[in-house]
Amino acid sequence: MPDSATALAGIDPARFEVVKNALLSAAEEMKIVLAKTAYSPLLKVAGDYSCGIFDRQGNMVAQGPDLPIHLGSMPDAVRSVVRAFPQPDPGDVYIHNDPYHGGSHLPDVNVVVPAFLGDVLLGYGCVRAHWPDIGSATPGSYGAVTEIYGEGLRLPPVKLYRDGQPDPGIEAIILANVRTPSERQGDIRAQVAANRRAAQRMAALARKYGAEELLRIMDRILDYSETMMRAALRALPDGEAQFTDTIDGDGILAPGETQDAQFRVAMSIRKSGDTVTVDFAGSDPRVAGPMNAPLTVTSSGVFTALKMIADPKSLIPPNSGAWRPVTVIAPPGSVVHAQEPAPVTYANHEMSHRIADIVFAAMHRIAPQTVMAGSQGTSAVVTFGGTDYRTDDRYVSYESTKGGFGARPMMDGINAVSSSVSNMLNTPIEVLEMSFPLRIEEYALVPDSGGAGTWRGGLGVRRSWRVLERDAHCATCCERVATPPFGLSGGLPGATASIRLELPDGEVRPILGKGAFIAPAGSCLVLQVPGSGGYGPPAGRDTARLRDDLLDGYVSPEAARRDYGVAPESLLGTTWEETR
Amino acid sequence: MEWRIGIDIGGTFTDVAMVEESTGRIGIAKVPTTPLDFAEGVLDGLNQGLQGSGVAAREVSLLAHATTIVTNALLENKGARTAFIATRGFRDILELRRSARTDLYDLFQEAPPVLVPRRHRFEITERIDAQGEVITPLAMAEIPALVAALREAEVQTVAVSLLFSFLNDAHERQLGAALRAALPGVQVFLSCEVLPEIREFERASTTAVCAFVGPLLQSYLQRLQSAVDGIGLPALHVMASGGGVLDVKECLRMPAMAVESGPAAGVIAAGLAGKQLGLGNLLSFDMGGTTAKASVIAEGEIAVTADYEVGGAANAKRWLVGSGHPIRVPVVDLAEVSAGGGSIAWLDPGGALKVGPHSAGARPGPVAYGRGGTLPTVTDANVALGYLAPDALLDGDLAMDKPAAEAAIQQHIAGPLGLSVVEAAARIVEVVNANMHQALRIVSVERGHDPREFSLMAFGGAGPIHAVALAEELDIPEVIIPPAPGAFSALGLVSSDIKRDYARTLYASLATVDPAQIAEAFAAMEGEGMAMLEAARVPVSRRGFQRSADLRYRRQAYELTVPLEEGPITAQSLAALAAAFHRRHEQTYGHANEVEPVQMVNLRLTAIGRLPPMKLAQPWKAEAARRRERQVWFPATGLTPCPILWREGLVPGAEITGPCVVESLDSTFVLPPGWTARVDADAYLRVTRS
Repeated sequence: MPDSATALAGIDPARFEVVKNALLSAAEEMKIVLAKTAYSPLLKVAGDYSCGIFDRQGNMVAQGPDLPIHLGSMPDAVRSVVRAFPQPDPGDVYIHNDPYHGGSHLPDVNVVVPAFLGDVLLGYGCVRAHWPDIGSATPGSYGAVTEIYGEGLRLPPVKLYRDGQPDPGIEAIILANVRTPSERQGDIRAQVAANRRAAQRMAALARKYGAEELLRIMDRILDYSETMMRAALRALPDGEAQFTDTIDGDGILAPGETQDAQFRVAMSIRKSGDTVTVDFAGSDPRVAGPMNAPLTVTSSGVFTALKMIADPKSLIPPNSGAWRPVTVIAPPGSVVHAQEPAPVTYANHEMSHRIADIVFAAMHRIAPQTVMAGSQGTSAVVTFGGTDYRTDDRYVSYESTKGGFGARPMMDGINAVSSSVSNMLNTPIEVLEMSFPLRIEEYALVPDSGGAGTWRGGLGVRRSWRVLERDAHCATCCERVATPPFGLSGGLPGATASIRLELPDGEVRPILGKGAFIAPAGSCLVLQVPGSGGYGPPAGRDTARLRDDLLDGYVSPEAARRDYGVAPESLLGTTWEETR
Repeated sequence: MEWRIGIDIGGTFTDVAMVEESTGRIGIAKVPTTPLDFAEGVLDGLNQGLQGSGVAAREVSLLAHATTIVTNALLENKGARTAFIATRGFRDILELRRSARTDLYDLFQEAPPVLVPRRHRFEITERIDAQGEVITPLAMAEIPALVAALREAEVQTVAVSLLFSFLNDAHERQLGAALRAALPGVQVFLSCEVLPEIREFERASTTAVCAFVGPLLQSYLQRLQSAVDGIGLPALHVMASGGGVLDVKECLRMPAMAVESGPAAGVIAAGLAGKQLGLGNLLSFDMGGTTAKASVIAEGEIAVTADYEVGGAANAKRWLVGSGHPIRVPVVDLAEVSAGGGSIAWLDPGGALKVGPHSAGARPGPVAYGRGGTLPTVTDANVALGYLAPDALLDGDLAMDKPAAEAAIQQHIAGPLGLSVVEAAARIVEVVNANMHQALRIVSVERGHDPREFSLMAFGGAGPIHAVALAEELDIPEVIIPPAPGAFSALGLVSSDIKRDYARTLYASLATVDPAQIAEAFAAMEGEGMAMLEAARVPVSRRGFQRSADLRYRRQAYELTVPLEEGPITAQSLAALAAAFHRRHEQTYGHANEVEPVQMVNLRLTAIGRLPPMKLAQPWKAEAARRRERQVWFPATGLTPCPILWREGLVPGAEITGPCVVESLDSTFVLPPGWTARVDADAYLRVTRS
């Protein structure tokens, strides 16, 4: 660990540690308040949100153990509030979701509350929460549109509460534009409550240690992360590498096309001393559909992968200071630096997932022992909307299904778990079915979906939804339907994703990775999410591990023969004791 | 004359604490744990304790016990060979978990553990929907093949968790009955019997944990019960992980309740002592032979978590969510490290000095015990440094072989490192202190508590030896050595009310539910509770029931538990309940919505057998005072002549300054130079900087 004495600059190290952790605990507490009071399953059980504590300039000082995808862009979101309202008052609450002002995509709504001790501004709490619906033509707001204006309600930074009371005008505009207003109202209250908890905790710390001391410590926390990150980067070999990857497409079929047109992201990375520069020169220009990433979204993908590479033991507090040594450059107007009015909804998670994987692939050329093979590379989003036959209420359901986490040098990948930028939870089947007119018919690992290798890739899963009683609007957003997650050092790629709709009359209709359609009553949507790539050549796999894979059905006998060149009979014992 | 007895079976010692209800008089016995048959050590300790205090078995009113058997089975993956049965299409839910990973940025994190390998996960065709209606009947025709597969797999226990069984348990019960009939000798755990609550993964995981440890726990408790029956003692009770003691039947219904049984007892005891001293902020620090546990009591509240994962890991920073097996039962929140008197010191291939996680345990034990141990332990280092008396710890039972301890340190540590034995012993203590420092940090600093605002309550056989050094390190202003520190957890056992929680799931809108339906559910639970208290011989005057309801706004996912007022259940009392919910929501989260419908999810009843309040005091008598002297090592002084006092002879009001060592039958307290210990009215040692 580096000597952080200089970063602390005169602050009692014990007090620094206590306050740093108290701010982190406050961010965790925000998370609990949000989960326990929110109304939509996406927030209350699936965890699609991030909570953070910010300084007076909008730098992120502490982020809860939430979603890395928000690392890069949440500070920009708070900064745009700071710019719009330079003189905050106690009792103010701000709201905004504008991807062209530090937002990520319209469904991610930022609620920001200033914290005060008396009249001294201490900083801000911000809760970024994914609303299952923000308007637009498609329930769930995941339509394949060609301008941001079609993606739903866009809110610049505005004052949602003044003097502690909601502004009825603003609230009315918001609730008139979303499909399930009473659910949204519950979610907004939860976001405000979580932020108020942050403001209370910050005020309590300021009372205890003095406002000036708290502000000084908040500054030092940023310096501390920077110092730690620079030391971690210095420990990696210097080098320069390029990697270009092909992305499935943007969900818009040009006239005459039956498959989505692929596009390319090019990246060069230069690691020199204690800095990293990542340049996306050569990437394709903006695409028609919502796969255009605002620069902050692109940066989040880069930051997440670099943090996993440089700080695999998670010792560096993730905050704005940690990213000071990292420069991200992308040509304005390219698909990785979206300009208004390009649509952006899919890009938020799909592009940042893919960008994180591209960083791993490029860094493999500089420091192969510090990276993992390609992961699921997608959030595999499925939305359903319509009216519930049980209550006649309107509903919107939003879920993300997780696949494989890449194989690593000396370690297998992980089956069915969030990777890189994401850390959302699944929605418990019992909660989902009580909330929405859907029935899950299968949720299971997919054998052979993990890329073969000395270290096998993680398995993907299959999840299927039966649409009950009434037709539903359905939308999908899933990368890696066409391009499989890469293996490294001789490991094979993981399985791609696939989606199909089984109609009540037995017809099976293939569904594109990205787009919206009507799922008739009684139909069943079957989604298979990608596995992850393997690491090292399959021939190098330990036979005891391969035998366990066969016994547990992670690998089929056919795949053992085909991918590993091993006759399964030669591995399998006949009794339990022998195979134990 | 009524006595309560607590038995705490640790990795190394079995402690028996006896307290006379009317006087608070304490009796202690400490015997080696007998891992091959725990009952042997327990009987030995009980006989010693009863004889030592001159108590007859019929005078004993309560027998409570703490065990680490459940935790150890999970940590060491030594439970029963377990099968899992799910609704068709869902056998993988135990592995799919909740999709979140353990650590956001750890590239080399382990995959989360799964108790049941995929080859032993089975499915059966059936389906119940979200309204509790049967959509697909249970395929009875599949059962013979399933039974054959379970036999083939040679499983010892089966966990069954079908979708929506918390709404309609018919399929689980039918399947359970068929399996129990077809597979005698195989224990079957049904999720509807273990934890009838929504969320399929958490329910399945809790059920699987119960199944994994159930057979082991059952044979253990049966063995122990018949052993204590044999000497005429009352029914055995078991400390629950969240505080309160359970009867054996309840414990076997839900073995997950006994996960942190022993550590919980220590924290309960610390809480009780804190209350007695009027101290709100305590760090409880319990160091025994195998592990050290730290927990925080802030503003008088023992930290209890509902989202516990057993068998998980902590990294340098915090407990890692997703690294263990979730169980949905309340558990005292604590950090545990492998650092005890028996922890073995060793050199890694790079020449770095490590202590633990391996422990010499009770057998062979530290070298100094002379029971065949050859590897140097923390206890051996403490002997070499003069902290532990070279003669006798357990009143002559266990004399320390100092030369053997020194020889082992010389051979394995001092020699290879080119240090003197005393230097090497000091390093061993330094390393183990750093490990324990970490546990204390996790519960204090890492949770935003400043240790400078806390007192450190140190107990366990080895806790008081290391406590002041740890306090120095963490800047904790005060150390407290409670009565009978070496058997303090066992004292916590006899201070816990008998408690059993009952729950019924009842999904209904509070505005429209029929009060009679609620009254009926409570009456049924009260009947069960009454029978339990009767069996535990709790006098009528000390029986109590607490009714509560889990409520939430209709679209929320988490409930608040709100107490129900006494008296009959009527539309008025339910309206009062709704009002209480709005108030509690406002207090907890800062907002409430009184026009929103309130949903009832569970009804809860806690049956309590209250123990009369009891004071914990250290027995003392001036005539027990003795004073000796030996060479003891301190960082500030090196080896120095040091007074050795006898704890029993320390009278209230006395003041001791370091360096000094205070010995008692069950524990040794080391007071380094620069610190002063004051003996308070109940003979607690209150230790502060001089």
